Amino acid sequence: MVSQTRREFLKLGLAAAASAAAASGIEIPLLGNQNSNLQNQLNSANIQMANLKTKLNTVTGFVSLNINEQSLVEAIVETIIPSDSTGPGAKEAGVIYFIDRALAGDYGQSANMFMDAPHNPPGIPASAGPLTVKPSSAWAFLQNYQQTAYLRSGTAISYLGASRTYTVGGTNYTVNYGITASPRVGSGINLQYPVNMREFWRISLAALQAYSRKYYGGNYQTLSSTNQMQVLKDLWANTPKTQTNPPPPADDLTGFSNILASDFAYELTFMTWAGFLMDPLYGGNQNMVGWDYVGFNGVNFGNFYGEGLNQKTLMVASSPTKLKPASLAQYQQQATGGA
Amino acid sequence: MIQESPVDVVCLGVGFMSGVVATELALAGNSVVGITKGPYWDYVNDYSTTKYDEWGVGLGRKYDSPLPLQSTTIRNDSSQFALPVRRYTMPIQYHALGHGVGGAAQHYGGGMGRFGPWAYEMASRTSSAYGSGFLAGINPQDDTHDWPLTYAEYEPYYVEWEKAHGICGNYNGSPTNSPSDINYPWMSRNYPLPPHPMTPLGQLFQSTVQGMTAPNGQKYNPFPTVSALSSQPYTNQYGVTVNPCVYEGYCAGLCDYACETGAKANAAYRTIPAAINSGNFTLVTNAYIFRLELSPSGNQVVAAHYYDAQGNDHRQPGKVFFNGMWGYNMIRLMLLSGLGTPYVYNSGTGTGSGTVGRGLTNGYTPYRGTNVSGTVNIGGNSYPAGNGSGGGVSVFDLMDDNFSHSNISPPFIGGGLFGAGGYLGGGPGNITFAGGVAAPNTANPNGAMGSAFKATQQNKYLPTKQSVGATPFAPDLPTFMNYIDLDPHYTDAYGDPVSRLTYDWTPNTYNGATYLVNQIKTILTQMGATNVTVSNAVAPYSAHNDWWGHHLRGGLRVGTDLNAGTAAAWAALSGYNQLYYNSNTSGFNYFAAGEITNTTGNNATAGTHAAGPQSYRAAEGIKKYLANLATGSIT
Repeated sequence: MVSQTRREFLKLGLAAAASAAAASGIEIPLLGNQNSNLQNQLNSANIQMANLKTKLNTVTGFVSLNINEQSLVEAIVETIIPSDSTGPGAKEAGVIYFIDRALAGDYGQSANMFMDAPHNPPGIPASAGPLTVKPSSAWAFLQNYQQTAYLRSGTAISYLGASRTYTVGGTNYTVNYGITASPRVGSGINLQYPVNMREFWRISLAALQAYSRKYYGGNYQTLSSTNQMQVLKDLWANTPKTQTNPPPPADDLTGFSNILASDFAYELTFMTWAGFLMDPLYGGNQNMVGWDYVGFNGVNFGNFYGEGLNQKTLMVASSPTKLKPASLAQYQQQATGGA
Repeated sequence: MIQESPVDVVCLGVGFMSGVVATELALAGNSVVGITKGPYWDYVNDYSTTKYDEWGVGLGRKYDSPLPLQSTTIRNDSSQFALPVRRYTMPIQYHALGHGVGGAAQHYGGGMGRFGPWAYEMASRTSSAYGSGFLAGINPQDDTHDWPLTYAEYEPYYVEWEKAHGICGNYNGSPTNSPSDINYPWMSRNYPLPPHPMTPLGQLFQSTVQGMTAPNGQKYNPFPTVSALSSQPYTNQYGVTVNPCVYEGYCAGLCDYACETGAKANAAYRTIPAAINSGNFTLVTNAYIFRLELSPSGNQVVAAHYYDAQGNDHRQPGKVFFNGMWGYNMIRLMLLSGLGTPYVYNSGTGTGSGTVGRGLTNGYTPYRGTNVSGTVNIGGNSYPAGNGSGGGVSVFDLMDDNFSHSNISPPFIGGGLFGAGGYLGGGPGNITFAGGVAAPNTANPNGAMGSAFKATQQNKYLPTKQSVGATPFAPDLPTFMNYIDLDPHYTDAYGDPVSRLTYDWTPNTYNGATYLVNQIKTILTQMGATNVTVSNAVAPYSAHNDWWGHHLRGGLRVGTDLNAGTAAAWAALSGYNQLYYNSNTSGFNYFAAGEITNTTGNNATAGTHAAGPQSYRAAEGIKKYLANLATGSIT
């Protein structure tokens, strides 16, 4: 599923440089004339760079997802936002690059999450032993400690509407898992896992693939589009845990034994839409195709391209005006007198 | 330990409340120190371009209180194990906790209406109108009380507060502007600035309700929605100049309401600059307060202790300590310091004892609550035009006791401020997934996935029709079962216990919603909205899954009786203690915040405003206290 174009970029090794240059306008300096072959390569690279810069903030290449994860995530995001007759989808927007970079950055490192133990992830199997929490770089500096995650033994809960009792320090505590809640798991007290988000994705992607193979007869990438959607819907419904044909083995990855599958379905769906709609600075929404699709203007407040409009008028208008979008990089270049 | 020089006044936290106290006291010639755990945000450098970065601001939360440093735990009732908040909601529309000068007010829409007279006398007025057992009948384990002061006593402080912060609005919606006018909290002086330009939807709402009869038998009285975003250039009584709103949007939701011109009122751009200019004020940033040091007898605070960015312990002595910290951080600091009597809930008797942590309430609507929605044929630019709170029209007629609550079933008290027509500000993420991405459901079998959902997003920011609706609820009432204490399992980065919130919606919130939603449905229908649909789904435990952190209130009452309430109005304080608390924690009289919204919302942050006059009262009390101290009348 990896496209030929992407392979070529990877081979040239330009990914990181291209992204940096496109985002900030930094030029790549030439290294001199010692080696004409090297010079030719650099000239070629600079031409490629120039071409890339004409595409706003287009990034390629991977810094976090491994080769198996790349093709899997690519297939998933294209299920969530397909390219169709209405317009470009996750593929054209480069959503996979957005996710890849997010996983390598603060999002994946859980850099702004509270990671203090004990951890009470739902459905921890009885056989699971204590895990050690890996402190993210963001909070390790605050106190140099490794925490032991208290994984509870006992009966696995059946998720929504369920209760479970934990014993901590001789006292019993009951946890109710959202009586009325839809699995809006991005919120508040969810994500009680003793691992950071990168690790969460690694475990969950492997579980999704195992589930796909066991119940749909092949890797996710090879399934029909109908079945690809159904796998994701199964995750939303936490079906892997309750499959009966045949039941997943206890503690088997296939049953998302350590992860609430809907937690991962939420992250997949949310991060795909974020990759479609966030500023191109972060690798997705390439060439602002996402903004163009939804009719969003970015930081064009009415006169970015000399349209002569202003926000005070636009905001009290009773009919919409479509503007050509502008990105944060363009805005900052304009603000600093750049191109 | 690093010793700091003693000062007259130590302000704990530097948000709205400390901004007033620090400025008033510094301008009166006292030495003042303000200590905040975050930086001093500069809107020119910190917000002017970077605020348009939805991923970094709204999702990376780079302006918000870092959870790795400190979080809180939450549960629905005292039998449960409280789980910690691990991550700010993604998306985060409602969970902006402050960090640095200005505090949470760096991240609000700017709704700033006054509390009316009824709110201050909720218990006694309800008792006299509907009988002495009415409150206890509708609110299990009821712990509702009047404020120790009336609206009339707070009114002059409201005026000072509105002058300082450049509030926009127009009270001419009030037919008489008299103290007896139940349709409007009486004001001795109009807002200092005019309202923002009205949207077409606001105009439709206004003209519609003007012709309608409210439940009290009178015509509705619409007025421009009150906003704390300056509509014009302005200079306040402290000589601080204020830029007007430039309507560049990117305000709501994922943009975290950061303001790139300083038009949105908060301490950093209204009061603290004057305190700094006085030469009597020292600002200590990136300083994490962890203890108050008490005198041996325990009735005096001697010093505040904080960690600097390197983890060094600083000791800051003072004569007076003003606690202007965020609600439950304030409670936590008191409990960690052994100050006051901790509240202890007895689930067996359904009552509690003690004061610190008592009466936690919620100032915002249940996320999956009762709601009504429809569509009107007014288009607009849903992209980031506008600002956070201006442009709309509101009514008071469905609020407080402005209509009779007799014979309403299920019974409730109070009501909500309703309005429509606010600007559709917000970035691209705000409209597509401000409320989270949806799970597959009956209406959308594939949820937020696949071509069918994708098609609903095409040109979504260029609507030719607008969705209008409301998720109303009546005031959350104080009850013995909702409270704050220290968590027995989880700690902050320095090993101190985090706060634990025990909270669930009270019946008054959703019983009120059942009634109010039908009143709003009538309004929407009169406005010509189509597909007007009511959904009624409120149930317990939703609070456990949606952390409404920055709209929680209460936990510490304003009171004149020091045995009943730890926090005291200034009149009772002289000679007792050096502590003054802001009333943002006095949530037992919190009301309102029912709302009628378009797709991105027209928020009502009125609780902030109720704390404002209390901060002026505290400043006045601290001045008296210091004067008494100087003359030796107290020791």
